[in-house]
Amino acid sequence: MKITHWTRWVGTSRTIASICLLFALSFSAWGEQKKLTLLTWNISNQGKVVQEWIDDFKRVRPDVDVNWIDKKGTEVAAYYQTQIIAGTPPDIVDLQGAIWLEYAAQGGLLDITPYLAKNPDVRRRFEPDYLAAWVYQGKNYMLPFYVAKTLLFYNKTMFKAAGIAGPPETFEQLVDDASKMSKGDKTGLVTLNFDWLYWPLFKMNGVELLTPDLKKAAFNTPKGVSVLDALAKATANGGINKISWTGRWVEPIGAFSAGNVGMFIAHSPAFFNMRGLAPWLNADTLGIADLPGGWATPSLHGLGISKGSPNADIAWQFLAMVTSDKYTRKLSDFAYFLTGNAATDRELLERLRKEDPLAARVLQTQLEQTDKLTGNWSLPSDARVKEAFYPEIQNAVLGRKSAAEALKDAETKVDRVLAR
Amino acid sequence: MAIGLTRATLPQTAAVDLRTYARGAKRRRELLLVWVFLLPSLTVFFLYRILPLLWNVALSFQQFSLFRGTRWIGLEHYVEMWQDDVFWTSLWNTLIFLLSAPVGILLALAVSLMVNADIRGRNVYRTIVFLSYPLMTVAVGIIWRWMYDEKVGLFNFVLRKLGLIDAPLAFLQSFELVLPSVLLANIWQILGFYMIVLLAGLQNIPQNLYEAASIDGASRWQQFVKITLPMLRPALFLAFVIGIMTSITSFDLVYVMTQGGPSHSSELLVTYIYKAAFELSKLDYAAALTVVQFLLLVTLTWIGNRMSGGDAGAVEREG
Amino acid sequence: MNRPKPSRSDPMHRYPRWPLHVMLVAISFAMLLPFYWVLKTSLTGENIFVYPPSILPHHAQPFYYVDVWYFIPFARFLLNSVIVSVLAIVANVVFNAMAAFALSKSFPGRGWIITLLLSCMMIPFQTTIVPAYLITGKLGLLNSYLGLALPTFSTIVCIFVYKASFDAIPRSLIDAARIDGLSELRILMRIMLPLSTSAIATNVILAFIWSWNNFLWPLIVVRDQAMQTLPLGLSRFLSDHENTTGALYAFCIMVLAPGIALFLMAQKQFIRGLTSGATKG
Repeated sequence: MKITHWTRWVGTSRTIASICLLFALSFSAWGEQKKLTLLTWNISNQGKVVQEWIDDFKRVRPDVDVNWIDKKGTEVAAYYQTQIIAGTPPDIVDLQGAIWLEYAAQGGLLDITPYLAKNPDVRRRFEPDYLAAWVYQGKNYMLPFYVAKTLLFYNKTMFKAAGIAGPPETFEQLVDDASKMSKGDKTGLVTLNFDWLYWPLFKMNGVELLTPDLKKAAFNTPKGVSVLDALAKATANGGINKISWTGRWVEPIGAFSAGNVGMFIAHSPAFFNMRGLAPWLNADTLGIADLPGGWATPSLHGLGISKGSPNADIAWQFLAMVTSDKYTRKLSDFAYFLTGNAATDRELLERLRKEDPLAARVLQTQLEQTDKLTGNWSLPSDARVKEAFYPEIQNAVLGRKSAAEALKDAETKVDRVLAR
Repeated sequence: MAIGLTRATLPQTAAVDLRTYARGAKRRRELLLVWVFLLPSLTVFFLYRILPLLWNVALSFQQFSLFRGTRWIGLEHYVEMWQDDVFWTSLWNTLIFLLSAPVGILLALAVSLMVNADIRGRNVYRTIVFLSYPLMTVAVGIIWRWMYDEKVGLFNFVLRKLGLIDAPLAFLQSFELVLPSVLLANIWQILGFYMIVLLAGLQNIPQNLYEAASIDGASRWQQFVKITLPMLRPALFLAFVIGIMTSITSFDLVYVMTQGGPSHSSELLVTYIYKAAFELSKLDYAAALTVVQFLLLVTLTWIGNRMSGGDAGAVEREG
Repeated sequence: MNRPKPSRSDPMHRYPRWPLHVMLVAISFAMLLPFYWVLKTSLTGENIFVYPPSILPHHAQPFYYVDVWYFIPFARFLLNSVIVSVLAIVANVVFNAMAAFALSKSFPGRGWIITLLLSCMMIPFQTTIVPAYLITGKLGLLNSYLGLALPTFSTIVCIFVYKASFDAIPRSLIDAARIDGLSELRILMRIMLPLSTSAIATNVILAFIWSWNNFLWPLIVVRDQAMQTLPLGLSRFLSDHENTTGALYAFCIMVLAPGIALFLMAQKQFIRGLTSGATKG
């Protein structure tokens, strides 16, 4: 009996031992140096360049290990917030859009104005308007890292077919041209809608989202209603492709690249994306213009330092390095990126004018009329205002509510959000 | 007086006592074994489901700021929820999702029975049905969005070629059609999951029952109703629970296909929770939504469990 | 492949097969349609928003699959995914069987445990990421294989799949084994598991798919690029700045392949053979 017991356990203990071994093998070891964590927002396709930065920084600061983490845009917030709650915020964070305002307002980002004051050469390297985009209540929180803003792409072939001479110069012309080009599977206009990229359509008519003190909604005016109404009518008659209001990125680009849409409101990366999908794209078929009134919504990435970082000085050193001429040049050489570093951007444009004139024309628009930026407000509650406002816009343009009703409801909701 | 204690009775009593004692010890050993066997799974659930749920419950009564700490505010979030249109819309949409689960289950049952039959190529059919389940939702989402597209999508192309409609239908931009459209994509993707659970359940039905019924002259339909269905009860109960869960597990699909739009017409509680937590940075409100959703789903599951006998649908054992 | 002889026990016996085939072909067509487009685009990298939609692939080439291998550290991510999934499968098969075996006995509190387990299923993962991260941190398992796999070590659906299988085993068989003096563990391993091969197969397949496709948890808990699992490579193919359509779909197909391979291998556990009647009768 005893022997049976003992042999029975051998088999089991062998299994247990191998399971333990497997578990032991699964623990990974940590390093002992100072660690700097860099969190970026979906730039893994520039991985090579970022790796170069990290390697070069290692040479400058051998006592520091830089750990680079890149997350998809929709998950950066989830990751970042989890890290903050766990008390281990990434030292350097790359943020896009308006979410930085929320973190800055709540004291989550380090005020880098003192660093900029001590290093005027760093301050001078940026396009002033784009550096100013990262100021909240008089303090600098981030350095420009990637710069883009909306422009108008248009399909010259479709324009010719509809008898339209050139890009629209007023809102009425825009809507009119769009309706002219809508026929069958073809539509006149498609726009991106995330991060307020469609807002120039309102701003060019003088419609403001909020009062200057950012305390109340200001869009529920007769003009606002008439603009929304025009957009709704154009959507109903096929002038504006419905994807404009529900799509995110893939569909609008796919639609315009397929040659089925007359105009496309998007920012510059769309161009590089489209080129791969649209064999018909060249200087004769693709038109590039500013939107009527020169208004544009910027889509920017900035690099900042988390307040809870124990290595703020080292983080600043890293930031100063990667936004310098030499390193931003590596990025723009690799990916036709505008980085907000004035010298690098100028150089890139110079080079592209010879090598790739169409791309040069696209990027040119990104650096012009930077005094006409809209769609960005110094609002920590930007996401909530958007959530209160945009669904009502959808209600109007997709025909569920009248423009007047939608704007009225939106006003109530936005005021409620701002009052909190 | 100890009249009953005779020589005759004494050894018997002792023997009975011994047996009771032995049974008691055995029973205790068995109980210990039961809990030891449950321990690993229960630990995982405790750590990764129960504790997080309790965290959410606690957070739902607090005001939470990422950088400035928390403070207790009682039922404020629940009051806010009561007045929140989006909450009611997403609750309603979730209920529609739940109510449509039987469609998926019936379809899956039919398919499972068909691919379980003795026909040539059933391996191929099963694999084809299962193919969609492990496919990454981002691919599923983009393709279905294209298929539903108003101008260039496959469905409109086919429907118009067949002359069934005159004007194109904007599936995902229509307030009425968006939820059914997402539901269809969801059923497509989850059919494989249902199938595998139902197939496993079908393997548990002893063959000899069918043999005996056949000999007794029972028709195919009678065999289905009297043998297959009752013996499939645990698997069907599981399918029912999976159906309730799809209102949670289809988060990825809804998020990729519509982001809950247009204007919240396809917003589910689970997508609203994610948005509230990470896009609107209202983790505390999201926690309150989680609690409400949990209570709703648990109630439904509990009702289902009671109605199916209380043992997760288990069938009485033979013998 | 020999056509299995229609047996007397098969309720479908004596009925024509072709209606079944017709229905199954129709269903297969519906199931394959979207998948066909994923496959086609992975070979052509074309813009699917072109009108009218092209049914046949034009200029198909396999280089997007090669791209996937090079765009991301595919081999490394693959290795990580394999380790995590193997851990998850082993743990699931073992722990779920143990739990289901316990639940198939009657003991005080069983109803409560079942209710508890069913309730745990109703907690969406998205609401647990922050506390799960904190707990994993306390356990010292952040950024490790064990930490990646741990939340998927046991799933309730799989426990109930086992339980359904165990409950279908006649009591007489188990009682006979007990009388023979077998310990509970032996009963589980020698009698119940061999009769529940379809449940084991289901456990393996589901545990694999859920740990393999798990996206949000590795995203939160991994801090080194080198520890990322395969699905996390997705962001590389969703780049704003370049067109990665073909590579995106090729990536999705490559991530899908092992799951399907596993399902194919496990198929024979789902064949209702003559044996399943005999031993369970």
